[in-house]
Amino acid sequence: MRRPFTLLAALLMFVVCAAALAIPGHSEAAEAGSETKNLIYDKANLLTQQEWDELNALANRYGAKRETDIIILTSTNAENQDVQLKTENFYDDQAPGYDKPHGNAVILTMDMRNREVYLAGFGKAETALDDSRLDKIRSKMTPDLTRAEYAKAFERYITLSYTYMGYKPGVNPDNILFALWFQLGAALIIGGIIVTVMVYRSGGRVTVSGATYENRGTSGVLEHADQYIRTTVTKTKIPKNNGSGSRGGGGGTTGGGSSHSGSRGSF
Amino acid sequence: MEAVIEYKCPNCGSGMVFDAAAGTLSCPGCGRQDNIEQMMDPLKSQTFTEQDVKEYHCTSCGAVIVTEPETSATSCSFCGSAVVLSDRLSGQFAPVMVIPFTIAKEAAMKAFKKWCRNGLLTPRGFMSADRVTGITGIYVPFWLYDLHNDIEVQAQGTKVRIYTQGDYRITETQHYSIYRKIQVDYVRLPLDASEKMNDALMDKLEPFPYDQLKAFKTPYLAGYLAEKYSYDDEQLFPRAKEKTSAYVDAFISSTVSGYTNVSYIDKQVDTTMKRADYVLLPVWMVRYNFNRAEYTFAMNGQTGKVVGKPPISKAKVAAWFAGISAVSFVALKIVSWTMGGGFL
Ligand SMILES: [Zn+2]
Ligand SMILES: [Zn+2]
Repeated sequence: MRRPFTLLAALLMFVVCAAALAIPGHSEAAEAGSETKNLIYDKANLLTQQEWDELNALANRYGAKRETDIIILTSTNAENQDVQLKTENFYDDQAPGYDKPHGNAVILTMDMRNREVYLAGFGKAETALDDSRLDKIRSKMTPDLTRAEYAKAFERYITLSYTYMGYKPGVNPDNILFALWFQLGAALIIGGIIVTVMVYRSGGRVTVSGATYENRGTSGVLEHADQYIRTTVTKTKIPKNNGSGSRGGGGGTTGGGSSHSGSRGSF
Repeated sequence: MEAVIEYKCPNCGSGMVFDAAAGTLSCPGCGRQDNIEQMMDPLKSQTFTEQDVKEYHCTSCGAVIVTEPETSATSCSFCGSAVVLSDRLSGQFAPVMVIPFTIAKEAAMKAFKKWCRNGLLTPRGFMSADRVTGITGIYVPFWLYDLHNDIEVQAQGTKVRIYTQGDYRITETQHYSIYRKIQVDYVRLPLDASEKMNDALMDKLEPFPYDQLKAFKTPYLAGYLAEKYSYDDEQLFPRAKEKTSAYVDAFISSTVSGYTNVSYIDKQVDTTMKRADYVLLPVWMVRYNFNRAEYTFAMNGQTGKVVGKPPISKAKVAAWFAGISAVSFVALKIVSWTMGGGFL
């Protein structure tokens, strides 16, 4: 009587857990009260008004959860300024930051003239979004940039910046163990294997082996030989993993003395 | 000469039966208990004539005893007296040894009910064990083989070492030629020699405690069913070899260690039968009706181990699956969290 009920309770718990974790952060709508900041500086006019509204809202919402301003800066770069320098100057002049001026911010700068992109993390984002994480974000959005699907690429940038900042600094955010689909899949496979073994064993199982009937006194190896014949060697070149298109530029320090992480590339 | 043995109590004349709990031949009428090991077996004192017995008659009531051709001990269906058919237990059918029952009928029933209650996947209605339609104690004929194996093995083995040197990953494979000459002896490997019994079921009943083996005497059978073998030791020998082949393979691979990979080129296994003893081993057979289907279970009459496929409840399988998956999922979440992943 009791056992099936506890098991059904477990089933219910599984469904609830899975549902709760599959829809992240739906309960944290409290941020709606704070004022909406202008986080997208679309000077190159890559976005429609509707796209701008949606992305700016998204950046505000996700940025609030990580206490970091998620900023996008696009430019036709008439003055032909280096994209990293442009990013640093923007940070020095505009003094963005969620917590304070010159505070936590991640900036995506698009140089449409030289078709270059630069990502920089300041404040808390310097460690939470270090060079390697910014490299990952950049390489994941570059295909969309190349296809000129800017809104899609920017959405990717905003959600990935938010997601990656949720992991402890130093760990690989793309570790398969962190993926929800992997956790769900592995859990179902473990359940399936154990239940299959339980069904298989329900009819009783063989508990004897050769050792049960072996006469140890008279059993053993009488003669043995392990003769070395030859050695074969294969050499394979280890592939260098440089990012798609161009190498990452890394971080630096602004003229105003703010250090930051960074990733640079073309599209 | 009568081919039927019965055990009449010298005190009161009741039919005596083997008492599994006490291990004695005991009288249900007056409580007399006789130590079987010190008894003269009536079978041995018989001068048995070498001719086919056509009909058996109960010595108590004179009724014809109806049996199947392989039955060697049973009860008279009219008066219930325990009878042993001596011609089916002598000559080539004389067992060398027997493991007597130590679990009596009531204890067997209790143990079976307990096993049903512990079924994790069986339907609730099955767990109450109230549909047992029959429980029968049978001495099942087994051959205990002593087998000698001469083994010669040729194999190729590799040892692989992988390391990096500059920009290159280097895989170094050393090839070896392997030879083994092995001798393995298996003693008292049991194989059921009854045609009726399911081989897989009987194999799962092992191990039988061989320290309980006793020199065979017919009183151990009084009150139980017993059968004579359907296959002799030569006929069962191929099955014995088949049963040991997995053991032999495991033994061979235990002697070839330290290699990354081993592939066998040639395995010569020469098995010879050193000895085969005919023994009777105690098994309780339980028949169970559930949802208009009959299930058969077997219980080791010495150890109480129960085997046999019970019905499986789909609802319970689903519930266990969901429960284990849920626990694994939470465990994986905790692992990923301690590794620095967000809990989302
Ligand atoms: Zn008596
Ligand atoms: Zn009778």
